[in-house]
Amino acid sequence: MSDSTEVRQEADRHAPKRHIWTMFARPEIGPIGVMILLFGMLGYFSIPAAESTWNPFAGEGFNALGIRNNLRVISQLGIIALGAGLLIIAGEFDLSIGSMIGFAGACMAMILRWGFAILIPYISFEGGIHIEYFTVLSVDHVTPIWAIFITMCFTLTFGWIQGFIVVRSGLPSFIVTLGGLFFLRGLTEVSLRAFNHRPDQSAGSTTVTEIPDLKNIIDLPEYGELSRLDAKSLPEADLVSMAQTLPSDTIATLTERLAYTYNRVAEAKTAIMEAKGVKPLEKALENAVQSGNEYMVNAIQDKIENFSITPVVPKNVSDVDVARAYIDTLPTVNKVADFFGGNILEALFDWLYFPIDWNTNNFGNQFAPGLYSCVMIWVILSIFCYIVLSRTQAGNWIYSTGGNLSAAQANGVPTNKVKISLFVFSAFCATIFAACQVFEVNTSDAAKGNLKELEAIAAAVIGGLVMTGGFGTVLGIIVGAFIFGLAREAFFYIPGIDGSFYRVFLGLVIIASALLNENIRKRIMGNI
Amino acid sequence: MTQSGLPPLIKTNNLVKKFGSFTALNGVNLEIHPGEVHALLGDNGAGKSTLIKILSGVFPATSGEIEIEGKPVNFTSPRDASDAGIGTVYQDLALNALTSVTRNFFLGREITSFNSPFGLMKMKEMDRIASEEMAKIGINIADPEQAVGTMSGGQRQTLAIARAIYFGAKVLILDEPTSALGQKQQMEVLKTIKRVQKLGDIAIILITHNEIHARLIADRFTFLSLGEVIGSGTAEDLAGDDIKTLMAGGAEIGDLTKELESI
Ligand SMILES: Nc1ncnc2c1ncn2[C@@H]1O[C@H](COP(=O)(O)OP(=O)(O)OP(=O)(O)O)[C@@H](O)[C@H]1O
Ligand SMILES: [Mg+2]
Repeated sequence: MSDSTEVRQEADRHAPKRHIWTMFARPEIGPIGVMILLFGMLGYFSIPAAESTWNPFAGEGFNALGIRNNLRVISQLGIIALGAGLLIIAGEFDLSIGSMIGFAGACMAMILRWGFAILIPYISFEGGIHIEYFTVLSVDHVTPIWAIFITMCFTLTFGWIQGFIVVRSGLPSFIVTLGGLFFLRGLTEVSLRAFNHRPDQSAGSTTVTEIPDLKNIIDLPEYGELSRLDAKSLPEADLVSMAQTLPSDTIATLTERLAYTYNRVAEAKTAIMEAKGVKPLEKALENAVQSGNEYMVNAIQDKIENFSITPVVPKNVSDVDVARAYIDTLPTVNKVADFFGGNILEALFDWLYFPIDWNTNNFGNQFAPGLYSCVMIWVILSIFCYIVLSRTQAGNWIYSTGGNLSAAQANGVPTNKVKISLFVFSAFCATIFAACQVFEVNTSDAAKGNLKELEAIAAAVIGGLVMTGGFGTVLGIIVGAFIFGLAREAFFYIPGIDGSFYRVFLGLVIIASALLNENIRKRIMGNI
Repeated sequence: MTQSGLPPLIKTNNLVKKFGSFTALNGVNLEIHPGEVHALLGDNGAGKSTLIKILSGVFPATSGEIEIEGKPVNFTSPRDASDAGIGTVYQDLALNALTSVTRNFFLGREITSFNSPFGLMKMKEMDRIASEEMAKIGINIADPEQAVGTMSGGQRQTLAIARAIYFGAKVLILDEPTSALGQKQQMEVLKTIKRVQKLGDIAIILITHNEIHARLIADRFTFLSLGEVIGSGTAEDLAGDDIKTLMAGGAEIGDLTKELESI
């Protein structure tokens, strides 16, 4: 070994890391830029033209209801994008996600509506050959947790089967899950029609309705379990007596809160009436100015200056109101239904209404009750996926399975198990998505989740994943979901353009991201 | 045949491998001794890769047996072979170019808390070990988070070798480690092999088509042709011309020259 090789080494050829630069070299930096752009667009364009403000929270995009609704769309997409994305990193595809959502939703809804039974068919010869059913198990009322559990058994098994076929046959997962897409959608429609069979034997519809609003069932002392709505419509005398049994400090807080709302509503009403009253006068003034009638102009100006309206008197807080408000504060009996379909951060949104007066709509009422709980579920799943993918052995296995399958196998990585687990996880995410929908709206439809698989894959691609696998991060998938969810809203508010331009935009973003991702991947592979 | 006092690490007796009606190996006897670099030479299709795939558990032999340190073994998977101390560095190196040095070094054997796939990886410790192990055989990596795809071919080879040694290889099998490299990097790899040899009693099986490389670092030679051993011996036993002849599968270079002239 000569001295010169000792002095200058391969390591010296790498420029020392600079943290700012490594931050910009991250593959997610492009998508994050697009996301910030969309945030800005939504904030800017959704401010009503009449208002001269730069505060993005003044517009419809980022007022309390806007945040609530946008985050719902984003987080629902985000949930399935995690399942689809992890699978893509491992080098496989799942096109059955959308149908899986429809299937899981229908399955859950049917179980909640009609119960669950296991029947074994057999051929009976008594009185002619026909098929009889032996009932192994029959439960009429299934709790939410069991409905989800039973549905999971079906969907996860189906995910497992798809994964098993892919790893065993070596067929492209595109084909196998394309089969799953048609199979599951068909199965969903068939079973919904069969269960919705009407007495007159006409084909049933492919929806399930009339599921009780499980997340809003409360346990009212002396009345037992009933829905909030039923509780509030109890006879007024009952409500009054209920209010009178409440502790005095509860009554005080409820009364204060109600009084605030009634005042606020009265204020808003007065303002609206004032605006309504002044508007025709202003119009008349304009006409008068145009026609040059000085006398009329003066008269109308006078009228506008002296225009006043008797302020609306706020409603009084009655015992019935207090009782109804109290019913709203009672906790739900079905924690599980509430976990999937209810709201979160209710206390925060309450506080934003009273005393902050931000979460207030034009009529003075509270705007948004909170965020949809699918947001929380998305956050939990994202943290879980981030830790698994970036910090655990399982994550390294996922990357290597997608990055170089034979290398992973040669190093003893159980690549088949990795792939099958991720097919199962993808089905899991679809089921969670379905649970959020079913418990939120209390209905289900065979068409639910249509095209969601493509949206999930698109979000993953926008977020920096490469279709050949081995590349991408959970942060990227999250950003992808944000971009996909925000684009539609942001374009909706741009004045003078067709809202469907968001699709044009997304199409371009998908292609641009795919090109960019491939470029980054090649650079890492050392091909550039 | 054994000249050194130590018993052979690996001994094969009459290994036969048939692919259907095609006989890839026809009764191969081989002895690998600790601390020696053993060059496995032969023409294309001679059966070198087939032989080492049997030794590393990729597929079983049709007949014949393998003994490791005197005990007969029966490999059913690459895992068995690596557990028995046979570390194989394939031509494609079995690296995932998209992830970091450390993640590749520990691929499949990551150090985790709770010893479970969902336990957190001890990244700091893994980074340190990977750097240290690679430094031992001559490469200092600046950044263990560097993607393997951005490393040079020689560095990748070193990574794969360091990994095999760290995970307990007593026999290191290298399948044409220099074939895809430029001159300078070929030398780097040969240096690496020498450094590995210096570490202790590790035996190295080196497959190569390069006679010069073999002569530079090998202590013992085995020549395969058409699935059979046509010659073997230590570096002292074989004169330069023997090696050339045997590598060409027994044909004399003189004959070749004549053949070429007749065209
Ligand atoms: N899986 C297989 N099925 C059928 N024949 C095979 C298989 N693997 C190898 N062979 C045949 O066995 C013979 C020996 O192949 P092998 O790969 O061991 O040669 P080699 O000595 O490594 O050659 P090279 O120097 O080109 O790498 C070749 O004729 C090859 O075609
Ligand atoms: Mg070969």
